[in-house]
Amino acid sequence: MGLSIVLAVLAIAVIKATPLAYAALGGVVSENAGVVNIGLEGMMAAGAFTAVVASFYFHSVVLAVIAAALTGAMLGLLLAYLAVTQRADQIIVGMAINVLALGGAAFMLSVLFGQPGASPEVTSFSTLGGATATVMTYLQRYALVWLAIIVCIVVHVFLYRTPGGLHLRAVGESPHAALTAGINVAKYRYLATIVGGVLAALGGAYLSIGEVDLYSDGMVAGRGFIALAAVIFGRWTPLGAMGACLFFGFFSSLQIALQRANVPAQLLEMLPYVLTIVAIAGFIGRSRPPAADGVPFTP
Amino acid sequence: MRGRLIVRTFGPLLAIALGSLVILLARGSPIAAYGALLQGALGSVQGFSETLTQTTLFIFAGLSVALAFRAGLFNIGAEGQLVVGALCAAVVGTHVHVAKPLEVPICFAAGALGGAFWGFIAGFLRARFGASEVITTIMLNYIAYLSVNYLVAGPLRGSPLAPETATIDTAAMLNPIIPGTRLTAAFPFAIVVAVAAWWWLKRTVSGFELRTVGRSERVARYAGMSVQAIIVKTMMLSGALAGIGGACEVMGLLHRFNAQLSPGYGFTSIAVALLAQSNPLGVIASAFFFAVLANGALSMQALALVPKDLVSIIEGLIILFASANWMGSQFALHRSRGSEPANEGDEPVAAGST
Repeated sequence: MGLSIVLAVLAIAVIKATPLAYAALGGVVSENAGVVNIGLEGMMAAGAFTAVVASFYFHSVVLAVIAAALTGAMLGLLLAYLAVTQRADQIIVGMAINVLALGGAAFMLSVLFGQPGASPEVTSFSTLGGATATVMTYLQRYALVWLAIIVCIVVHVFLYRTPGGLHLRAVGESPHAALTAGINVAKYRYLATIVGGVLAALGGAYLSIGEVDLYSDGMVAGRGFIALAAVIFGRWTPLGAMGACLFFGFFSSLQIALQRANVPAQLLEMLPYVLTIVAIAGFIGRSRPPAADGVPFTP
Repeated sequence: MRGRLIVRTFGPLLAIALGSLVILLARGSPIAAYGALLQGALGSVQGFSETLTQTTLFIFAGLSVALAFRAGLFNIGAEGQLVVGALCAAVVGTHVHVAKPLEVPICFAAGALGGAFWGFIAGFLRARFGASEVITTIMLNYIAYLSVNYLVAGPLRGSPLAPETATIDTAAMLNPIIPGTRLTAAFPFAIVVAVAAWWWLKRTVSGFELRTVGRSERVARYAGMSVQAIIVKTMMLSGALAGIGGACEVMGLLHRFNAQLSPGYGFTSIAVALLAQSNPLGVIASAFFFAVLANGALSMQALALVPKDLVSIIEGLIILFASANWMGSQFALHRSRGSEPANEGDEPVAAGST
């Protein structure tokens, strides 16, 4: 393999990892506060769809990203309300969000654009920065890729280097102890879950208007669950999750490169799922969630 | 008990009412839409028989999720178990050639074994290593999809036209019990299995053990039950039920295994089990309800011009209402872990028992 092919594989790996990274970081934030988010898949779909709708009407990628973020915040709020205030079963709420968001996007797709399956093409990141490629062009077209890297660093610094991050992790590890220390458990869980929803939706927006320029049914294609896998494989840390996403991205990139060689694509695609099972069963060092992850808090 | 009744009655009604709002927002007529849906699902012998056929699959998959719930296990993997079971039934149906009275049960057994094996993996990992079955079953769904896709595109491909196996033997096919429809004996079989599951849970020692583990693993262990073994057995039983559902699809409808066999039936089955509050008899009614939605959706789209995805929205709302105990019920939570915070992750079920 020539150097250029290696570089291309790596570049595609980063691009493939980006949507996963947003969702996985969202999962890391909410799970560290003790709220499991199985609804990442649905939140990504909702983000992808609203980004396209906003871009269709306003012809602005910035507004599209904001619209996606707001949708993610709403779904995060829904999850937080049911999980924190109503102490509902978080797995079931997450499942409901998946079904609702995927069904809702498909429904609205038909209603708004009068055609099932896929939306029309809209203004996307690939149109930014003019015809001749300069540094500025790359900065703009791949803005969401750079933003993902920044988000990862911010989440890492926040969780491990600030009092707020310490409080958030305390709420996820031992809410009773956190409460005794005067930390508002519900507030942190709400905020973390909403931020998680925003990030997952941004991952979706990247899929629809970052990588391509439309929304199509089934475009999220299980990435929300791969992101969930990355959270676990990355041991509930932002850097670990980011690493896992890059690793998974590398394999889906390799798969494109190996299409002509006789390697069954399905075997490479299976890798994230198999590795997650291996990780959670503790075959390669125990992957342990925050102690109160998924457990409703009753003061 | 009163709270349970409220959710069972009002959850679906509220979801349907909110669905009407969604229809109005889409500038449709709720009456026309639901009318067309009911017309399509129940209004003709053809439509009604298709609804019962769909009910059959939902009963098996719903029982799969419901029994796991009763043991405190969340089986999100019915989808994968169903697909693996269906493939096993199709492979046996194409390769084993015996008389019909033998071949039909053999194919069902193959489907059950395939599903049970897929369930076993999650059960074993939970019992032995404390790995959350929620996560492992989600991952196993994708591993199942990708594995069968690989197999029917390559080694097991039996058709030049599509990624699917060859047609199964006529001896392995289920015949329609009403001529001109696709309704087979699998439907009464599903009802019998549901009643048997109800009786088993309520009246047998092993059923009692399963429910005890669901209430509290600690109590079950204290009473001398082998929690590990019960978890593994439950996941196998759960997988077997989903696998039989997949086998019905192959033997009664498709007559081969196709990579697009399930458009997410295993996920709908979670809604089926939740609405039935994990009661096997309730699963029959709940499966019928979701079958009406699933089967009427296309005629609603064709006649009332309301996108068929409305039924997904209704399904999502029903799951959402089922998630909370806000309607005064300890709903669906035959799951023990919510009430035992220290149990999550840090203490593998394996530790110290037996």
